[in-house]
Amino acid sequence: MPRSTLSLGRVQELLPSPMTPEALVESLFSSKAEVEGREGDRLAVSVTPDRLDLLSEGGLAAWLAGAVGAARGIVPLRRARARGLGMRVETSVGALRPHLAGVVVRAPTGKRLDESLLAEAVRFQEMLHATIGRDRRAMSLGIYPARRLVGPIRYAAEPLASVRFVPLHGSDELPAARFFAEDPMAARYGSLGLSGESCLTLRDGTGALLSLPPVLNSANAGEARVGDRVLLLEATGTRERSVREGLGLLLVVFASRGWSLQPVPVEHANGAVDDGASLVGVRTVELEAATVRSISGEAWAASEVVERIARARLSARRAKGGWKVAVPPWRGDLLTGVDVAEDVLLAREVKAEVGIVPPSPTRGRRRPETAFRRRVGRLLLGLGFQQPHTPVLVSEASVQRLSESGALHLSNPVSRELAYLRDRLFLSHLEVLERNTRHGYPQRFAEVGPVVVRSSDAETGAATRYHASALLAGEGQGFAEAASLVDYLLRALDVGSVREPAELPGTIPGRAARVRVAGEPVAEFGEVHPKLLVEMGVPVPVVWAEVDLSALWPLTGGRDTA
Amino acid sequence: MSDSSEPPSGGVPLSISPGERTVLDLLRGATSRLNEEEVVEKLGLPADHVRGSLQRLRSKGLALLEEEHTTVWRLTPRGSAMLSEGLPERRLFALLRSRSSIGPEALRAEGFSEEEGSAAIGVLRRRALLAPGVPLRLREAPPPPEGPFPEEVALKGISDGASTVEPAAAESLVRRGLVRTESRSRKRWAASEEGRRLVLEPAGVEPIGALTGGLLATGVWKERPFRPYDVRAPPPFLTGARENPYLAWLEEFEEILVGLGFSEAEGPLLETEFWNNDVLFMPQDHPARSIHDALTVEGVVGRPPSAELLARVAAVHEGRALPGEPEPIGPGWGAGYDPEVARRPVLRSQTTAVSARFLAARPKAPFRMYSIDRNLRREEVDSRHHVEFRQSEGIVGEDGMTVRHLVGLFRELAEAIGIRELKIRPSYFPFTEPSIEGYVRHPRLGWMEVFPGGLFRPEVLRPLRVEVPVLAWGIGITRLAMVALGYNDIRELFADDLAVLAGESR
Repeated sequence: MPRSTLSLGRVQELLPSPMTPEALVESLFSSKAEVEGREGDRLAVSVTPDRLDLLSEGGLAAWLAGAVGAARGIVPLRRARARGLGMRVETSVGALRPHLAGVVVRAPTGKRLDESLLAEAVRFQEMLHATIGRDRRAMSLGIYPARRLVGPIRYAAEPLASVRFVPLHGSDELPAARFFAEDPMAARYGSLGLSGESCLTLRDGTGALLSLPPVLNSANAGEARVGDRVLLLEATGTRERSVREGLGLLLVVFASRGWSLQPVPVEHANGAVDDGASLVGVRTVELEAATVRSISGEAWAASEVVERIARARLSARRAKGGWKVAVPPWRGDLLTGVDVAEDVLLAREVKAEVGIVPPSPTRGRRRPETAFRRRVGRLLLGLGFQQPHTPVLVSEASVQRLSESGALHLSNPVSRELAYLRDRLFLSHLEVLERNTRHGYPQRFAEVGPVVVRSSDAETGAATRYHASALLAGEGQGFAEAASLVDYLLRALDVGSVREPAELPGTIPGRAARVRVAGEPVAEFGEVHPKLLVEMGVPVPVVWAEVDLSALWPLTGGRDTA
Repeated sequence: MSDSSEPPSGGVPLSISPGERTVLDLLRGATSRLNEEEVVEKLGLPADHVRGSLQRLRSKGLALLEEEHTTVWRLTPRGSAMLSEGLPERRLFALLRSRSSIGPEALRAEGFSEEEGSAAIGVLRRRALLAPGVPLRLREAPPPPEGPFPEEVALKGISDGASTVEPAAAESLVRRGLVRTESRSRKRWAASEEGRRLVLEPAGVEPIGALTGGLLATGVWKERPFRPYDVRAPPPFLTGARENPYLAWLEEFEEILVGLGFSEAEGPLLETEFWNNDVLFMPQDHPARSIHDALTVEGVVGRPPSAELLARVAAVHEGRALPGEPEPIGPGWGAGYDPEVARRPVLRSQTTAVSARFLAARPKAPFRMYSIDRNLRREEVDSRHHVEFRQSEGIVGEDGMTVRHLVGLFRELAEAIGIRELKIRPSYFPFTEPSIEGYVRHPRLGWMEVFPGGLFRPEVLRPLRVEVPVLAWGIGITRLAMVALGYNDIRELFADDLAVLAGESR
């Protein structure tokens, strides 16, 4: 879950009425944010991925004010009346990172960018990069001092050789080629802004370099500073939706503190012009009254629905059959009426007491094949076999031990211990045997569990099958014990079987067999090869038997009708 | 029952088996202590029977054991060679007898190694057999003794296993590396004072030990007394098989679901991205789908679903209307949909994939389905995380189902496992809207999130042509089981310690 550390004081100062830290934490139980820890002014918060706005002090305060009924409706979106600052995407950008959007934000009278607001904006910006920005690949944001810029801002790809750059917080001007070769930020994100011998640039009308998107701002024209009153917020990216969402989310930091918003028209490479108005205004999502009813199960009066919408910091206008709900730019998660209905539902705490247990119209049952597997498990338990429960993943060493194993290798395992999908339980059970050499003998254990075997017939390229495997370790254990075990199981399941010699990995040649029922192979067993026993430090003979229950089930007349 | 009897040494009549009696008889009749081999030989019984009887007699205080530690000498390989070749001093002595003198430098030509040469000279000089100075000559007076040197006698004696060897000569051979020492212990047995005093029943009226089929068939049991057993003797260690507690707990939980009208469904462990994610409206670039979170395999490729279903799912991802419908359900994810991604294999990361397959089979409403099964995610293994975990998936498809019914079912499930307090808070899953999480209050652990669920989104249901609302949950059953079973480490669920499984510590 996305998480960040917020300033408790900055959240509290935005609330219309005072709230103790304890009350604040308790209220948040009904939100999509969760307080994971509090230390002094530092509030560690995690949120569900759809409510990133709650990871800003402004967004969290807006939610809290609505939840306690101290504020209603959308946080005001003030429009600035000021000179325009246009942006243009040059054709040179091509498909490398084609999308661009911008908004100018202006401090309310008497206010300026202070240190803590700058810190909040930068922290929130980095969190957005890591989440919807997909580590800047899909979207990245920039914050610039708009007063010091001259329009239009040009977004282009320029030859590396023609670009020189003073990186943010640096003092020396570098050739861009050197920056990309040496700077740690360039090492991490450089490839997203480079194409052959060109790099992406953002310059103002005078040619001053603002940044090398999506890597780093420049030190002069690109550095927003404490005291600035007007800022350009910009986003570039490979996905238009993410660019718009990311920029919209960043606006909550400023709008919640009364900064006004001014659209920035963008002229795209194809000549089309977007006036940017949709980025600074509300969008409308239709909500049908029936949707609210069918999701919540409540027959709320229209006034209650409207009140809930207002507490969710949205606003509603009555429309035929429901409402038109205005949504601010930072609520990109609200896609359709269903999403808004969730906000309506969750605007007040959902009490467990509202729950209704619906009478069951159906009769429940296990799959007959599951019952069959359990029956085999019980037969083995009745024979005195312990019941281990082993993971379906086995170690590289186990697979190498059985040279002819068909176990599938994971392409990204977390460890060598859990690197292969077992294709027989034998692999897991040799591991169990090896881990139990400190205990006395005889040892007997058995398990019914899934294995995964390659299968060109299967939709996923491999089939999940269920096997039962048993191991007997101790003096006097031999082929006959395994044979009589398999014989017993098949007799108990009422099927006739035929045994034939087989060469099975990990067994002594001439002392292993395959068992067929109606011509189909259903079981294998044999004496475990002493080479393996010595390798594992097992001091007694061991026999193994494994039954393919998925093969056997249809042969016992079983049919799954589920 | 009261335990008023006293230990055997307190005078309670002792019972001994026929085998023990035979051995005790021998010890009582012996004039000196006997070792085990002697007892075996004299009685002609199997060695392990004799050993067992001796130990039991000792534990009953009827026999005494004395362990004798002795040192024996053994020839080293070099010592064996010398035995046949002759010791170097003997060879030099013989040489000097046949020739009057020889220079030390000429010994090499006579077959002496440097070491043998010096050893031979040293020994002969210590025995005062050589005249002073070089070349080497035998001293003329007194005349050299006839017969073997003491080392030669010792070497031969050790080789023959003689019972006495002159220690000084043997030690000298040890120093020269021709002989080594070995420690031996010998167990010697004798009847104890109590063993000698014990009154035994006359031989011939042998009491019955183990009751056998033969004794029953012949009726001999009527004529002979039963030998009483030592009821305090430790019995053989027995372990029984028990149901695996985790699996048993899962079955109990399953009973609750079956009782609530749910029927079981199952899906493959190796899935395609389509069923694990796409059909559940998980965006194709969702972070949980990256190689850092989802496990994939080498060497297999899946097949896409039917072209019709693929087209419908692609449409909702891309925000297009379903084929034949005028309006899109929603704006989708604002990115293209890649059908190649759909067929990539991935290990099932959520049992919701089982629900998706179930819904795709167009079940007749109303329906209730459950699946309690394994999922795999790319987690580092520690006490709280494991690559493999289980979820208890449940879906309810019926007209009129709402969040209130979902909450009601959560409450019912919580009560069924003995928890009365439930709280609901908002949550998020890409495939449900609304999404909620049921928290329950555990008496010891406090509030725990246990029931994540919601109503499937239209973007999930409509491509699958499901017409009724569907409640869905994926309970983290692994965690719930840990709490119920009192486990602190998730790895305990994968129990394979046979002693623990047997409920014993061995």
